[in-house]
Amino acid sequence: MALNPQYVDIGKGFVAQYYALFDDPNSRNSLVNMYNNELSFMTFEGQQIQGAPKILEKLQSLTFQKIERIITAIDSQPMFDGGVLINVLGRLKTDEDQPHAYIQTFVLKPAGGSFYLQHDIFRLALHDQA
Amino acid sequence: MPPMYCDYDYLIKLLALGDSGVGKTCFLHQYSEGVFHSRFISTVGIDFREKRLIYNSKGINHRIHLQLWDTAGQERFRSLTTSFFRDSMGFLLFFDISNEKSFLEVQNWIEQLKIHAYCENPDIILCGNKLDLDYLRVVNSQRAKTLAEKYDVPYIETSAYTGENVNKAVEMLLDRVMLRMETLSFPGRILPPMSVLPLQNGHDTPDDRIKLEQMTDKTKCNC
Repeated sequence: MALNPQYVDIGKGFVAQYYALFDDPNSRNSLVNMYNNELSFMTFEGQQIQGAPKILEKLQSLTFQKIERIITAIDSQPMFDGGVLINVLGRLKTDEDQPHAYIQTFVLKPAGGSFYLQHDIFRLALHDQA
Repeated sequence: MPPMYCDYDYLIKLLALGDSGVGKTCFLHQYSEGVFHSRFISTVGIDFREKRLIYNSKGINHRIHLQLWDTAGQERFRSLTTSFFRDSMGFLLFFDISNEKSFLEVQNWIEQLKIHAYCENPDIILCGNKLDLDYLRVVNSQRAKTLAEKYDVPYIETSAYTGENVNKAVEMLLDRVMLRMETLSFPGRILPPMSVLPLQNGHDTPDDRIKLEQMTDKTKCNC
């Protein structure tokens, strides 16, 4: 499959859509529709999760209600199977907590004229040493 | 170059832990009557508060510089920079008496502490917080006491909202930490080197505070 020349727009569009759903506690669970039942991986703060049902459990376990988010950069690359690799650098503030920087990486896998979310890696930018 | 002296005898670092929403920040705020200055170290996600107090032991007054560390919500993501466990001399471990899950997590927190703290049996006070919500209580005192006994840590019920037992909980922890220091199982009396002396005026900068953290990085006890 050829490289997708629209990778930059796809990356931006996907990230906007993903966070619109994630940041609203009422719609967060519907993110599960982006993942494949077996062929999707999520790594959330080092916790390895596979498949949409388990990913849904993780999404449901997140307790914060209000999220304020600032996206600093969205870097995308086309993949040789027609997919898109997306890396996000951002900052988020949950409820009344202090804001934390984070990095999130996505891989969109082409499937039937659209994509599913094959890989999703999230990590807060917290270090071990000050 | 500032003169080389230090206006406190002991630098004590305490860390507040527990599930998100159990009232850690509120507790620390209540303890210091809202007067402390708090500073957020974003690279490690820790809130940093300080208080000076006099601690009397066997008729001798010790000047204590107390640092209270507070996480900044990252436990919601199940992540915590465990290096702060190692650097802390004592732990206030909180659960919410009206929240069963926060109580069930106490065991995990203690296991984490045993792994990452300066030793395998660090000084911990288990605090059942939100005593003001007693009418919503789901964790009865006896269950909490039984758990505390299992791990050989004291248990106290507190209300960060009303202030009930807030000072007492910190004093209980301080007693244990000081006892450990005085019995020399812990490299206690910490005299900072020249580089961190701005503390003398009580107006240290964030950078100086960070040096203070690193300075005692290798703190280990013999147990």
